[in-house]
Amino acid sequence: MVGIIPEQHPDRTRLFMQWKGMDWPILLDSSNLLAVTKVPITLFIDEYGVIRSVQPAVEELDDFLNQTYQETTQPPQAGLPDLEQLKKATRQDTVESWRAYAGAASLWGESSQITEAIEAYQQALEKEPEHGPTHFHLGVAFRKRYDSEHRQAEDFQKAVENWGKALDIDPNQYIWRRRIQQYGPRLDKPYSFYDWVRNARREIEARGEIPAQLVVEPGGAEFAYPSESFQTAEAIKEEPDLGGRIFRDEKNFIKVETTVVPSAVGAGETARVHLVFRPNLQIKAHWNNEVDDLVFWVDVPEGWQVDNPYLTVANPPDVVSQETRKVEFELRSPEKPGASVTIPAYALYYVCEDITGTCLYRRQDIPLQVQVSSR
Amino acid sequence: MKKSSYFYLTLVVCLFWMATDQVKAYEFEVGQVFPNLVLPSLEDGRPGSITEFRGQKLILHIWASW
Repeated sequence: MVGIIPEQHPDRTRLFMQWKGMDWPILLDSSNLLAVTKVPITLFIDEYGVIRSVQPAVEELDDFLNQTYQETTQPPQAGLPDLEQLKKATRQDTVESWRAYAGAASLWGESSQITEAIEAYQQALEKEPEHGPTHFHLGVAFRKRYDSEHRQAEDFQKAVENWGKALDIDPNQYIWRRRIQQYGPRLDKPYSFYDWVRNARREIEARGEIPAQLVVEPGGAEFAYPSESFQTAEAIKEEPDLGGRIFRDEKNFIKVETTVVPSAVGAGETARVHLVFRPNLQIKAHWNNEVDDLVFWVDVPEGWQVDNPYLTVANPPDVVSQETRKVEFELRSPEKPGASVTIPAYALYYVCEDITGTCLYRRQDIPLQVQVSSR
Repeated sequence: MKKSSYFYLTLVVCLFWMATDQVKAYEFEVGQVFPNLVLPSLEDGRPGSITEFRGQKLILHIWASW
């Protein structure tokens, strides 16, 4: 038995398999190179690589195992692509050569080569802009870079934009749709994508084992359950800095990244906004955890809805820390949203300059750009 | 439960799941040679392919943990 996984974060498969005691070989297809349009799919494949049944019934198993199949001509065994050769071939400047190099660099290159893969996909798209699979693969590459040490602040948003573009080209591609829904709002979720992670860890530990470590922890969107209606918080706190009197973080102690999923909302549709707060390590900034939690406030424009405009991130127990902090919320556009909108928002936090530096209370204004689609 | 029993139980669950889910795959056809694709393995990231399993019958399951 062999499995193939078209997931963005394959390390989660490792945890799942440990949880369920599954130990057969798994191949990773984050970019969905197989171009499956749905999962799960089961195939019986004979000794010569020929598919003998698609979505077989249980009763077919014995026949398949006992059947003697005729030997057929087999294609040569696949080999690892030659990255250098493929890179040289891009001098031909054809869409095929760019795609070939991009795919190989994304899959087999060193992590530093992910940028070359992204640039090669972009070259391919300049020549053929309406190629859905290339947009999807480019999105996968952007998200891979976002999860790596080579991350650029807008990578996650660009991943979502390209997945969205791919889905616009082929709205029946279920795998592409799931990739967006994984990080998207609850009204567009078919189910919770990773709620099983908590159970898995608990049960694995109860067995006396150490759960497989995840490279990227699932975020709130990936744990969230679907909702049939847009829900807003019952009790909303007052705006924390109504007069804007708190000093701004002009020294950029905290860098903020925002991603809106999907990247454009239609009339009456919802989006999930992801915010990431990273202490500026270049100036050794760190959180001061002795006082109030980080507070995030959204100034909701008329006609728009936000599930909770007042959000906090609890301080960890350490007096100071430098971890990345994340906030997510959902918004809903009005029935006649008009043009794209900038939603005012800001964060308040306690931050310290360097290890022995002064600790300050600062505000950072975070205007949220929300694209409105015409669909 | 023995590992082999887990395997067959999981296989039966997969196949039963397919039967009740009524998902039809349009990408693969009986008689087609499975695509000759090299992908990283979950275990160690090394290249792997379905062609490595030639000489043995294979049950291939394409799935996601979500």
